[in-house]
Amino acid sequence: MSIRNKLFLLLLMSMLIISLTFTFLSRIEPVNRAYITNQGENTVSVVDLNTLSVEQKIAVGSSPLGIAIVPSKNLAVIGNVDSKNLSIINLDKNEVTRTIPLDSAPLGIVANASGDKVFITSWFKNQVLALSTHDFSIIHSFSVGITPSGIAFNEKYNAIVVANRDADTVEIYDADNYKLRKKVKVGSHPYGISTNSSFILVANVYDDTISIINMENWVQKVIKVGFYPYNAIVHKEKAYVTNAQGDNISIIDLKTFQEIKKINTGETPENISIDKINNRLIVTNWGSDSVTIIDLKIQEPIAQIKTGLQSRAFGQFIYTK
Amino acid sequence: MKKLILFVSALIFSLSVLAHGPTPQKVQESITVNVSPEKAWELVKDFGSISKWHPAAKETKIEKRGDDTYRVITLESGDKLEEKFRSIDEKFKKIKWEITKGNVPFTDFNSYMIVSKGASANESVIQWTARFYRVYKLNPPIPEGQDDATAKEAVQGIVDAGLKGLKKVLEAK
Repeated sequence: MSIRNKLFLLLLMSMLIISLTFTFLSRIEPVNRAYITNQGENTVSVVDLNTLSVEQKIAVGSSPLGIAIVPSKNLAVIGNVDSKNLSIINLDKNEVTRTIPLDSAPLGIVANASGDKVFITSWFKNQVLALSTHDFSIIHSFSVGITPSGIAFNEKYNAIVVANRDADTVEIYDADNYKLRKKVKVGSHPYGISTNSSFILVANVYDDTISIINMENWVQKVIKVGFYPYNAIVHKEKAYVTNAQGDNISIIDLKTFQEIKKINTGETPENISIDKINNRLIVTNWGSDSVTIIDLKIQEPIAQIKTGLQSRAFGQFIYTK
Repeated sequence: MKKLILFVSALIFSLSVLAHGPTPQKVQESITVNVSPEKAWELVKDFGSISKWHPAAKETKIEKRGDDTYRVITLESGDKLEEKFRSIDEKFKKIKWEITKGNVPFTDFNSYMIVSKGASANESVIQWTARFYRVYKLNPPIPEGQDDATAKEAVQGIVDAGLKGLKKVLEAK
């Protein structure tokens, strides 16, 4: 065999290996999972969002509610209300690797953009705690309004936003020096909260409304939704709101600030996250112990999956890698 | 029965205190009834009929207030309980309501009943789900009678007695 032929063969073989590798790799779908806290059975269900099946259940502390996914650290922080601690789940192994004791019940949980800090509302102490993801110690705590519930992180303003349920307020704090930047009166019983770009969305449970606050000028719009709205998130110029006692979600057009549609869910839908890979909404149903999968293109539910007793998952609960 | 009346009447705390603790409690029970789902649904969806089947409810009066419908229940104990109708879903045979006034050892009581098909055409399953909170909302120690266990026991009693009552009335017809 001539050198030329040998080289040609080598080239052919390497091309074959490369193409085989590509074929193999393209068959590995990205990791795309929901972590659902089941408050009635002290577990977290791991749902594969590509196959729509429950992969496993992870035992955590007592009465898990809040969750934050920290993608940069491959971990989830779970807040256990009755055992007053946090379970840290390693998302590669799907195992609890640490339990961090607190002095009071954790409610809402959110990570900052880099994932080096996680903020937790401490319901009974009327505080926000800052947890370091380097050494997992509480590095700071500061007082906020009464019964702080939902918490969200705004990257644009490097701010923590908190819904104080029994004070009917939303407070905005600097995420580094923890100074109060603004306090806004909202509707009655604000619970779930989220933020995106310059907007803050909060569900006013007893008013059957959500408030949308513009952080540039602090103008607040109030929009009527369904019964007992629990949480509200933004995705591509639309807001999605869970109506806990309406057993549905409301879709709000953020250009007109009008509700454009309601979609049925399971019983007592509480929280909501976006599956960006499949363009779907994932809604947790406390009443029916399940999650509802809603296709955003057709705006219809396509599946309901049993997860565990009293599925809640208060926070952004989807992990993609 | 006695225990139930005791629960609903031994009451110290009013529902007008809206604020509640962080963990909603859940009671969810089902009963199989030997009548068709249509027949069961007819009784279940009749919001004013609760005193026909719940042993603790002596008398029920329907009241319209604006667009809202309430039932005012006089309990066997003499106490009054006020409930607001929330919604009805004929397709899923589901009715929802909440307690708005009454001296009960729990707060923020929201509830629904669903009638579904049983194993045969003349069998149905009635499911009753209640979501509520304990009375005491502050940091522990929790005073006696205001904790999760007390709230749950009271609601469990109401739900169990109600489902048994429904079965009895429906099957006697």
